[in-house]
Amino acid sequence: MSSFFIGWLGKGTSNLPKGAAPRLLIAGAMSMSLGHAVLAAEAEPASGGIIQYGHEQEPPCLAGPWIQQWYLQRQFSDNLVSRTDDGGIAPWLATSWTVSDDRKTYIFQIKPGVKFTDGTPLNAQAIVDNFNLWLSDDPEKLNNAATEYVKRSFQSAQAIGNLTVRIDLKKPYEPLLDVLSQSTFGIQSPTALARGRQANCEQPVGSGAFIVVKWNHGQDVILKRNPDYNSAPANAKHQGPAYVDGLVWKFLREPPVRYGSLVTGESDVIYDVPGVDWADANKRFQVIRHITGGTPLRLQLNTAFPPFDDVRVRKAFAYASDRRKAVEVSYLGAVPYEGNGALSQSSPEYLSALADAYPYDPDQANRLLDEAGWTARDSDGIRLKNGRKLTVRIVYGAGFLVTSDGIQALQIVQEQAREAGFNVLLVPTTQAEFWAGKNRGPHDYEVQPSYWTATSAEVFQIVWRPDSGNVVNAMNASRFQDATLWSLIEEADQTFDEAKRIKLYQEAQRIVVDSAAVVGFVPLTVTLAVNPRLKDVWLSSAVGAPVFHDAYFAK
Amino acid sequence: MSMTLAARIRALPFGGASRHVAWFLRRAIGGAAVLWAVTTFTFVVQSLMPGDRALLIINMAAGNITNPSQAEIDAVNAKYGFADPIAVQYLNYLWRLLHGDFGVSYQLHRPVIEIVGAQILPTIVLAFSALLTAWFIAIVMTVVLAGRANPWARFASGLQIVMATMPPYWIGTILLVTFAVFLRIFPVEGKNSLIGLVLPTVALAIPLAGFIGLVIQQEFVRVLEQPFVTSSRARGMGDFGVRLRHVLRHAVLPGVTLSGWAVGSLFSGAVLVESVFARQGIGGILVGATSARDVPLVTGIVVISAGIYVLANVLVDRAYLIIDPRIKLA
Repeated sequence: MSSFFIGWLGKGTSNLPKGAAPRLLIAGAMSMSLGHAVLAAEAEPASGGIIQYGHEQEPPCLAGPWIQQWYLQRQFSDNLVSRTDDGGIAPWLATSWTVSDDRKTYIFQIKPGVKFTDGTPLNAQAIVDNFNLWLSDDPEKLNNAATEYVKRSFQSAQAIGNLTVRIDLKKPYEPLLDVLSQSTFGIQSPTALARGRQANCEQPVGSGAFIVVKWNHGQDVILKRNPDYNSAPANAKHQGPAYVDGLVWKFLREPPVRYGSLVTGESDVIYDVPGVDWADANKRFQVIRHITGGTPLRLQLNTAFPPFDDVRVRKAFAYASDRRKAVEVSYLGAVPYEGNGALSQSSPEYLSALADAYPYDPDQANRLLDEAGWTARDSDGIRLKNGRKLTVRIVYGAGFLVTSDGIQALQIVQEQAREAGFNVLLVPTTQAEFWAGKNRGPHDYEVQPSYWTATSAEVFQIVWRPDSGNVVNAMNASRFQDATLWSLIEEADQTFDEAKRIKLYQEAQRIVVDSAAVVGFVPLTVTLAVNPRLKDVWLSSAVGAPVFHDAYFAK
Repeated sequence: MSMTLAARIRALPFGGASRHVAWFLRRAIGGAAVLWAVTTFTFVVQSLMPGDRALLIINMAAGNITNPSQAEIDAVNAKYGFADPIAVQYLNYLWRLLHGDFGVSYQLHRPVIEIVGAQILPTIVLAFSALLTAWFIAIVMTVVLAGRANPWARFASGLQIVMATMPPYWIGTILLVTFAVFLRIFPVEGKNSLIGLVLPTVALAIPLAGFIGLVIQQEFVRVLEQPFVTSSRARGMGDFGVRLRHVLRHAVLPGVTLSGWAVGSLFSGAVLVESVFARQGIGGILVGATSARDVPLVTGIVVISAGIYVLANVLVDRAYLIIDPRIKLA
């Protein structure tokens, strides 16, 4: 197998083929870790203390495919590889890896001497067991994120040595390492996994910096330091066990409680600073904000049926409201506006030229609607065509996909679009209703705001995959099934050349935005407000999981 | 039918204790009927909500919208028996319930009884401490001020109306911001500490104190005008003594009746207050279970809460006998 070797320690960048450098980050992260070493020599962070972390939502299991589970999994498990802020891939449980020329075989060398916190040694077979479980056909075992990302390209995983894993793909899948860096692919102890679903829900076991001690349902998860931790990712700020003794992961759903507990010192750090406290938090605390990758929260326009089967009407809807202003006045600066509805601005493939797509232009909106034949108006000023009202139902997941700030912004969009003659109806849908399919039928909506958090443009294969046979791709609520778009995405996913792949993804973004299949709204952000006493908390790339392994309390 | 049954039970030959036994039997049958009705209602409402339950369970496990194949949907339908007619599902559920099997939560993958068992104690503690606090506030306000012709008394009765109309969720938020965030007298997070119990208790107790106060005050004023009160005063008993020892005892009965109902209301109020103060309890679990349409868990919580409600009402009925010996077991 001729291959290239991604060296980490002791290897220079000269081994790397041209074009790979930006993704493989080597030089940048090396200097980062050296820089930290110098700092560490000057002042060794203090040990001890327990971090009180005020989180928001409580998942039904402590590990799994939901983003709320990724956050927790980041604390107690390690991944094969880690993703750096600039989109590069750094070693983690895999110290090095090779990729075959046909891009279909990956061979990972696993770090020796690592143990799961139940004492099970980490070896190649443990990694293989995890792969087999993620991609299992048994709905009780599989990891839905793995199914969505990897299953279509995955062939097999084998242990070809005690510490050597071979992954074979059916076809090249260049985002593989990006995907494997996400916490839902955190490697768990095979011994623990064999206990079954309930035990793994309650007390999952990884090799991470913290150990799950107890989950007090409805209140918190108690984690303690893993004293033998020796497998931090190469882009961590330090190697070895966490500085703090433990972590209390509290579920504080109500914003006043969450922010209040930070103000009174009951929490050292909280998740998701409420908009109303944003300005105050920035004055009193250290606020860390991370814009997540994948798609932003964008308005998916139902292109399958009238009125949005006409691209002119879609564009008119996009021009009809000042979404930038609506976002500014509703989110009060806590979240920026995102005009490129195709991809989040933190993704490396992001096309910034589309950031201002469809600015507020009521004249243009009116002209397009006239052109499309929506010329008559009823007594309320709503446009008509063949006696039919220009009605747009925005079906939104209230409180979970769209927060109260977002709902306020949608109300502004509703008012402004009415001026152009759109009869906009806001249709809130609860999480259970939404997940049970209510209001999501093909004729139930004209607009569906949604997002998909991911590392970057590899999300396109999920959200733009055309329907196959009887299976409707529910993630493509735009129902936009453009053949050119899909072939671009498939080509990009299999293109090794970095520059070429980015260009393909950018062409895809242009098609999505130019056809107004989606209209930009806001990126998904993760914010933490941290008591200044607590140092070196960071958010992982690209989904913004809080990382507490490097954190310490200032003396 | 129930009359006949009641009459038959009354006719049972239990000797001296027969009246008590018959009373308990009738109560038990009534309680079982209430539980059956609650179970049925909750099951039917949960089952008939729009949307596909198998899809919901799959999406819930995935934490996202997914594209399950028909085979995956069929597997979930088979596992939970969703493919059966609703009547069969209902009878199966009832049968299991009769055997003490509340089922397994769709989303937490744990037995319902275990989940509720681990969470119900903090809710019971909160509900009953709120009940006691509400009684305390109501009695103090009534004994001190009811039936007096001064501005304080008028203010108090106006205040009781305001208290009775205040939602616990709102009171909770105000108390939290004032006494925990600004004054820092109490912790923001209630947890399960004694001091953390104070604000949630007060938030729940205030509206109930208003209700109980309004009811017992009315009775209190009526009793104040009774001849035995005048005769007590004539015997030289002090005003406060008369109010506390004679009048209150007669006036509390409607309040006691109300307390049976209040246990139910406190449980539902606790659901909201627990979330404001991030307390452990069935409240948080119920909110999550309802939004996930976790039928076994929601039904389990509702049935167990209804059981406590039934029990509380039995206790209230017994309390009548203690408070007012003139009342006899019917």
